[in-house]
Amino acid sequence: MKYVLRKTGLLLLTLWAAVTLNFFLPRMMPGSPTDAALARLAQNGPVSPATRAAIEAQLGVPTGNIWDQYMQYLQNVLTLDFGVSYTFFPQSVAQLVLGALPWTIVMVGLVTIIAFIIGTLLGVLAAWRRGTFLDTLPTLTGTFTSAFPYFWTALLLLFFAGYVLRWFPTSGAYSPRAAPELSLAFVGDAAYHAVLPALTILITSLGGWILGMRNTMINTLGEDYVTFAEANGLRSRTVALRYAARNAILPNLTGFGLALGGVVGGSLLVERVFSYPGVGYLLYNAVTNQDFPLMQALFLMITVSVLLANFIVDILYGFLDPRTRR
Amino acid sequence: MTLLDVQDLSIVYEPRGSEAVPAVKHANFSLEQGEFVGLVGESGSGKSTLGFAITRLAKPPARISKGRIIFDGKDIAEMEDEDLRRQRRGGFAMVLQSGMNSLNPVRTVGNHFADIFAAHDHVLRSRRKARAKEMVDKVKLPAAVLDRFPGELSGGMRQRVSIALALSLEPKLMVFDEPTTALDVLVQRAVMETIRDLQREESFTAVLVSHDLGVVLESTKRVLVMSEGVIVEDGPSSQILNNPQAEYTQMLLSHYADPRAEVVELPGLEVRGSQITTSTRSGGLTGSISTDRRERKAHDPIVLTRVSKIYPPPRRGEDPVTAVDDVSFVLEPGQSMALVGASGSGKSTIAKLITGVERPTSGTVTFGSLDVGTLHRSGLRRLRQDVQMVFQDPYSALNPLHSVEYTLMRPVVNSGELRGTAARTRVLELLEIVGLTPVEQFAAKLPHQISGGERQRVVIARALACNPQVIIADEPASMLDVSLRAGVLALLEDLRQQWGVSMLFITHDLLSARVVTDQIMVLNGGRVVEQGDTAQVLRFPEDPYTIELLDAVPQPARAGPAEEIA
Repeated sequence: MKYVLRKTGLLLLTLWAAVTLNFFLPRMMPGSPTDAALARLAQNGPVSPATRAAIEAQLGVPTGNIWDQYMQYLQNVLTLDFGVSYTFFPQSVAQLVLGALPWTIVMVGLVTIIAFIIGTLLGVLAAWRRGTFLDTLPTLTGTFTSAFPYFWTALLLLFFAGYVLRWFPTSGAYSPRAAPELSLAFVGDAAYHAVLPALTILITSLGGWILGMRNTMINTLGEDYVTFAEANGLRSRTVALRYAARNAILPNLTGFGLALGGVVGGSLLVERVFSYPGVGYLLYNAVTNQDFPLMQALFLMITVSVLLANFIVDILYGFLDPRTRR
Repeated sequence: MTLLDVQDLSIVYEPRGSEAVPAVKHANFSLEQGEFVGLVGESGSGKSTLGFAITRLAKPPARISKGRIIFDGKDIAEMEDEDLRRQRRGGFAMVLQSGMNSLNPVRTVGNHFADIFAAHDHVLRSRRKARAKEMVDKVKLPAAVLDRFPGELSGGMRQRVSIALALSLEPKLMVFDEPTTALDVLVQRAVMETIRDLQREESFTAVLVSHDLGVVLESTKRVLVMSEGVIVEDGPSSQILNNPQAEYTQMLLSHYADPRAEVVELPGLEVRGSQITTSTRSGGLTGSISTDRRERKAHDPIVLTRVSKIYPPPRRGEDPVTAVDDVSFVLEPGQSMALVGASGSGKSTIAKLITGVERPTSGTVTFGSLDVGTLHRSGLRRLRQDVQMVFQDPYSALNPLHSVEYTLMRPVVNSGELRGTAARTRVLELLEIVGLTPVEQFAAKLPHQISGGERQRVVIARALACNPQVIIADEPASMLDVSLRAGVLALLEDLRQQWGVSMLFITHDLLSARVVTDQIMVLNGGRVVEQGDTAQVLRFPEDPYTIELLDAVPQPARAGPAEEIA
């Protein structure tokens, strides 16, 4: 319990540090959004000082000293008030992010977890049956597929399973005629649309988990406690899972934490290829349109998700490894 | 009744892609019900391979190439996997070499018992908790350990737990593979006592696999001696002790002596009182080395004045740890002093304080005019030219990627003006000093291509490379086989005499302290409990702790008690 409290304290501290950096970094950059807007207007003719004032008012350029601004910013973050998007005016940034977040978290998050579980199980099996086809088949296939670039796999799937065979839809998160609601029909429709992007992520990430788990598991299989468990006549399933795999998984959790943290920010390419309305797609739009408020909010989201994922893994460690609990 | 019959057993190692190496050759022996037998040999003799084979734990690349192992009337090679698993209860059990690592770090001790009971179903569900308590009680541990994780127990406790686990299988045959090797001397003695008591009470047949003839002769009634895969001698302990037939057994025995004796002799080393003379064949030192010795003579003493080292508490809420408590001594130039004590007595911390790795909490450490506790980078550099360490584990003290020449070249280049061919000449000279000849061949080798004893000589050569005044040897021989141990000790002694370096010899082994040092300090819990002339202190110890340490030294001659029971 004390361990959880300590880790929670650490999480809050790092969150605060991330939010504060997010506030100060843009302010240290030269130029301002007003200048950028004026420069764009200046291409069409001279700009009057009144226009400048109007733009500043419209963007809400802050008055007051930096401390007041900081407090105001903290309050805004806590109330999820990130201002208005330039690109999707007049929608608020919060609306946009909250609209995109569930798609990414559910689709990419779920696939990441599934890939970790399947990959780990296959890795355990490969190490336990080392040298048989249960080892060579997943290991070789894994090495092969994890070498594919993300977008290439995505394009292949798009072309064959989408256009040629017409098995799955090629873009969007749900049919144009369906409206987001919590019904079985809609969830089914959304799952159907998620198959290709999900498969892309699964194919490219599975191999890493298989190889990682297989290698650590082979090391733990050489440990004395595994030999001793065998010498004591424990059932081979107990030896494989409770003794070998249980210890082998520990180093892989760190990698899992990194992968989870990358869920929000790392799905840009896949979501772009499949026009999937998630955070990655939104980030792509924000960057191409120089939508500063949206970008800032998204960067903050990405940072927070990495911290949260690490927190989750830390807590998991606490449960799985008694040695970290001290 | 014969419990185990090994007939013409040969085992080979067949690593992938290289040639097969025979590990055990034509072993023939049988064990009677209730016998306690020792299996002795040095590293690489095949004793552990044999131990693993008779419990059917041998795994590739080891393969039984010939012969049969009959256990309780059945050929164990013909058992089906499930039958084999079932007969691990009431059949043969094994306690592994480093019992420290034979427990699953993420399961409590209680769960280890639960796993065994679940696997064999030989204890009623309602009785299991109580049974686990009985088992830990048998190995003299409190019931509270059942709720502990292995990481929370000491090495000795963990080894006791694994003995209790093996015992809970109610085996007919127990194989102990080096059960006490990684343990502290005092703990080692206590664990061996428990094993002896259990064997008597439970009357299982036991095989004690060990490299330490002393430990084996103290405990067992019959001893098999192995060398290079061959059982060279098989006889009652008394015969092995008093009338060994095989040359190899005689050689092993010659390396044991009582540190309390008036005259202690080891092959290559001789001690008379406190007068030490080394025989000429021990070291590689010859008059041909043309360096001026006087130049190297130690001239600065190391002085410790009321030194204490207190470490902050290991966990919040606990007391700080006092590793060294008010220790004062002087290591005179050219002197050889032993620091002895069980693990945790603070002897290695003192080495760290002298080399400037740690700073004393109070008191001062001086070397000549240097106050070691206050030195920073450049000062420490100067100190390390004069004070060098020889580490315990020659297997991890050398970078496996660097050749011997490279390893020795670094300190030669870093500490002096020698460059190019002059530096290389110096490296070869160093190799000659430590007796690694032909030097050209050794210089080109990588650490894995040379033996443990040779590696330790390289480590010593490295320490000598910058002409130090003081060598601090931290258990320099404890990882080596007995037959190599004397050679390394003799080398250190030669170096001290011929080159006039001072030596601080840190060890738990009183016998080696007796043969290579003049002065001794006995440490217990960071305090000096006894100090003085080595021979005097060890022959007539006054402090109870010194006596306890002396009693813990395995003595083949103490095989007496085991005989009486027979």
